Amino acid sequence: MNMLANNYLEVGAIILFGIGFMILLLHNNLIKKIIGMNIMDTSVFLLFITIGYIKGKEAPIIVGGKLNTIGYVNPIPAGLMLTGIVVAVSVTGFMLALTIKLYEKYGTIELDEILKMRSE
Amino acid sequence: MSQLIQLFPLLSILILLIFGAFLTPLLKRKKIILKLHIAINSLVTALSFITLFYVAKFGPFVFQIGHYPAPFGIVFKIGPIESSIGLMFSFVMTMVMWYSIFSLEKEIKEKRVSFFYILNSLLLASLLGIVYTSDIFNGYVFLEVSTLAACGIIIVKDKKENIKAAIKYLLLSSLGSGLVLMGIAFIYSISGHLNMTYIHGEIIAAASDKTNLLLISLILFTIGLGIKSAMFPMHVWLPDAHTNAPSPSSAILSSLVIKAPVVFLIKIYYLVYGIEFISNSNVFELLLIFGGFGMIMGSLFARRQKILKRLIAYSSVAQMGYIFLGIGLGNELGLTIAIYHMIAHGLTKSSLFLSAGSFIEQTGFKNIEDFKGIGKEMPVTLGIFTLSALSLIGIPVLPGFISKWNLALASIESGKIYLLAIILISSLLNAVYYFPIIINGYFGEDNLDGKVFRSKSKPIKELIPVIILSLVMVAVGFLSGSVINFIKSGISIM
Repeated sequence: MNMLANNYLEVGAIILFGIGFMILLLHNNLIKKIIGMNIMDTSVFLLFITIGYIKGKEAPIIVGGKLNTIGYVNPIPAGLMLTGIVVAVSVTGFMLALTIKLYEKYGTIELDEILKMRSE
Repeated sequence: MSQLIQLFPLLSILILLIFGAFLTPLLKRKKIILKLHIAINSLVTALSFITLFYVAKFGPFVFQIGHYPAPFGIVFKIGPIESSIGLMFSFVMTMVMWYSIFSLEKEIKEKRVSFFYILNSLLLASLLGIVYTSDIFNGYVFLEVSTLAACGIIIVKDKKENIKAAIKYLLLSSLGSGLVLMGIAFIYSISGHLNMTYIHGEIIAAASDKTNLLLISLILFTIGLGIKSAMFPMHVWLPDAHTNAPSPSSAILSSLVIKAPVVFLIKIYYLVYGIEFISNSNVFELLLIFGGFGMIMGSLFARRQKILKRLIAYSSVAQMGYIFLGIGLGNELGLTIAIYHMIAHGLTKSSLFLSAGSFIEQTGFKNIEDFKGIGKEMPVTLGIFTLSALSLIGIPVLPGFISKWNLALASIESGKIYLLAIILISSLLNAVYYFPIIINGYFGEDNLDGKVFRSKSKPIKELIPVIILSLVMVAVGFLSGSVINFIKSGISIM
């Protein structure tokens, strides 16, 4: 229990991941699915940033040929997640565009209603 | 000279991205776009071919991008497996492009033809990236690019069903990529590296006290990449997407897009975790179960289909089952055959989809019943279809037989005799759903009644790419010994 409280950021990230995953998997509304996907991706970003973060330390910026901090935050996860955010934004944008198209053609964004339309 | 050749894998990706994807929107004339893309793809195929020869002669090499050495920069590790799969990808893409020149405009609007070529270049670049890269996060980014581009070549037709299929694919695929990213986060928290070789070193050191974390990440990778490569219970997006897409897109989706995540998965298993850790976990049994069920259920589903392209799509699910079964056997021969089957299935399925596409294009029908007597109207095309179908059924000398035979040998070698029954049943089921199409196409008095010989056949000029594909497929079957030896030499150094 104490371990969970100390690592509350990781725990929060995993809980958010579960919430996002289940929304993406189980909801029928496409907009809700997209929100779920965003929650899921953001939780992974949070986890990644938490891995590299040390409380009270700074980024490794070199001033005058010297590293001006003792012990620094790992910059690689932040850099990776910048890429991850770009990927998530482009997937979200593409998915929203597809949702608009789908609404134009079917008149609804509920996935179960759309799937039912085929069988008729 | 050897420095120059080592540049080729990166060069082919950059050529595809710069000239294929970013330059094309600036061009207006459609003829120029077509010629440019054929030239680019042929060039990339030639580069992959030279790389393959270089690897065969001088052994595998490591290419550092931007001259940054391994733990800091991204490196490409090109061995026999990577180079042969890369050659297969670029060759099939070139042939499909060639075919699509004559037939694409009949399926999609003229305005969107250039989109198709742009997306295909993007797709090939990202697929080659997944195959070549040795950096786990780089692989993830390429995987996402390939997903978006694959969705693009589905919706390029712009019909109701296409958008539905694409969104289904995209939703499941983003589920999968979320899992993969989570797996990378877990791995990174243990190792602090992104390069596969360096992660492996750290994992070996931490394997004893972080076993649970490693197992969770292993399952996350397996399921995440399994969704993207249509492992059996997660295959639900595949039939819709492959049926509704234009025929050249279906060929690309079925023969290339679902193969690249498997290559990535193999790299993660063998380069990141290492064979000792993997064989102590139960993940290979999981792959055996999923692969075995896929082989049987995919064929059973295919047997019930009435639409020709849907049948071929379900047959892809079954064929992916063979690949997962081969990996799941866990011995050297099984993995070799999994990779050999990737190459064989890529060549076979693309020629199958393209010949089915020309049936649909010439007759305007979609259902299997309407293709009775097609052999009299389009003898050459049905001949190609028959050759590919025979390969999937497993007639000797053709590559499908070679992989089934060796898979059977590998399952005996690993002591799992019951798998022979699964392979046998799956082959019989393949025969059950492919033979009626062929027999009804060629024979039967009432089938051929009223059909005029060669009345609907495509000009031979337009069929050349499909003929080349099927000839190469037969060649891969005939030369299977040397191909398998070449792949084996890659596995032993993995």
